[in-house]
Amino acid sequence: MILLENVSFGYGDDSSTVRDISFHIERGEFAAILGANGAGKTTTAKLIDGLLKPTKGRVLINGLDTAKTRVSERARHVGYLFQNPDRQICKNTVREEIAFGLTAVWQNAGEDAIARRVDEVLESFGFSGDEEPFSLSRGERQRVALASVIAIRPEIMILDEPTTGLDYRECTHIMDTIKTMNEEQKTTVVMVCHDMEVVASYATRALVMAGGHLLGDGPVKTIFRDQELLKRASLLPPQIVELALRLGPGFENADTVEEMTEAVSARAKRKGAGV
Amino acid sequence: MKDLFQYTAGDSVIHKLNPLTRILLAVAVCAAAFVSDNLYYLVGLLCFDMLLGLLAGVFGKALSLLKGLLKISIFLFILQILFVRKGNRVFWIITDQGLILAAKVVLRLMIACIPLALMLAVTQISDLANALVQVAHVPYKYAFTVTTAIRFIPQFMEEMADIMEAQTARGVEFDTKNGLKKIGMMLPLCVPLLVTSVRRTDAAAAAAEARGFELRNRTSGYKKYPFHWCDLLAVLVCAALIAGAVII
Ligand SMILES: Nc1ncnc2c1ncn2[C@@H]1O[C@H](COP(=O)(O)OP(=O)(O)OP(=O)(O)O)[C@@H](O)[C@H]1O
Ligand SMILES: [Mg+2]
Repeated sequence: MILLENVSFGYGDDSSTVRDISFHIERGEFAAILGANGAGKTTTAKLIDGLLKPTKGRVLINGLDTAKTRVSERARHVGYLFQNPDRQICKNTVREEIAFGLTAVWQNAGEDAIARRVDEVLESFGFSGDEEPFSLSRGERQRVALASVIAIRPEIMILDEPTTGLDYRECTHIMDTIKTMNEEQKTTVVMVCHDMEVVASYATRALVMAGGHLLGDGPVKTIFRDQELLKRASLLPPQIVELALRLGPGFENADTVEEMTEAVSARAKRKGAGV
Repeated sequence: MKDLFQYTAGDSVIHKLNPLTRILLAVAVCAAAFVSDNLYYLVGLLCFDMLLGLLAGVFGKALSLLKGLLKISIFLFILQILFVRKGNRVFWIITDQGLILAAKVVLRLMIACIPLALMLAVTQISDLANALVQVAHVPYKYAFTVTTAIRFIPQFMEEMADIMEAQTARGVEFDTKNGLKKIGMMLPLCVPLLVTSVRRTDAAAAAAEARGFELRNRTSGYKKYPFHWCDLLAVLVCAALIAGAVII
């Protein structure tokens, strides 16, 4: 579905911001791109959507080379959430904002279908629809931007830090929405995220970047246990994983609070049974 | 385009000039261009522009400026030669006077645009402002307003590019080849651009206040901007340029 082959990219002519990256993401995967600030995560995300064209190598989306197809045509299939929501928002009410993206890509759908979809999304995000996006708080604007991406039901969603600036409850709500789309509609999700707890709870695959290189690629569970790799990428695993690692045998697989609770109660049961 | 306004560091002769002298130099070239009515002198002035670029170590930038201006110039040139009726006909409806006049207009445009851009490229805006405040006794507030405005131009352009990128990703056809269509689509995007800049202005004002903006005055600057012999030389060059324009 998403295929990068030896992709390199540099802004300007000299520096190479992304160096020789290759990976392949299948339909329905939930991948997280991890890395320190300036590691090249946003650049990679933009390369995937074709907003930037690789200087070397190629990027294929559904078998089509991004260098040969237009971004605006891809918008029907690929949704992109920008790191800065203000770049995306351009209408005076939240309702218009969400409808704007829909009318651009759902050209064959009737007005009714679009209006229905807008209402659905508004309700799911708890907006009345008449709010003015620019007088909302930063976190709320983030949600407006995300809502308009989710509204078009893309096959691929590229999310650049979807949860920054959101409170815990909102973060969980949004990530649950994304996870549902991922599971029920087999939406492919590529997410840049600094919150390791969120990555551990939602993503299944992790791509670790540092200095423009792809250092590691694998299941989140494996990556979070590769201390040496994380260190090279200046990352820390979620605290719960660290705890699990320190507790040792019987807890190794606990990545989230739920898994840890299970492991602990399993241990307690065995103790109770006298094992 | 956006790196035209960006500062290029260096220690060339031009960099050593007082910031005010640099601006004076640019203004003098412009003035000379508009005063002079001699085609050869104008060509000479254009060469002087390029020489300035060479001296300041930003010849590449000067060339790319020239290239950028060339497009507008060709357009202007064609307009001019089509509309001037005086003189002897050279070819079709084109007259010799029309050709000369058009050449002059185009040359003036190029000569006038390049030096200011070049000088701004080798002058840090804060230096210019401080020099204005210290030497020319401009109130700090006004200097600050102007410098901030100039300082935000590249950021403004970057933001517009970012916004267009974001809208393309949403399916707005900014990646079309049709220029007119593109401009039509750009207009509605001015709203977010304005909103972010107004918001940033507010934030910048608050930040400036928080850092003691009101307390600053002419003596607050920590760099000094004295004049040297090369400034004197530059002023002489300016005088010569204008004198030459009047005489020739
Ligand atoms: N438009 C640009 N022009 C020039 N250089 C850029 C541009 N955007 C990013 N860079 C450079 O590319 C490098 C990688 O940037 P990128 O935005 O991909 O990092 P990131 O991993 O997304 O970081 P963050 O976690 O801060 O969002 C940075 O060093 C940055 O300076
Ligand atoms: Mg980023």
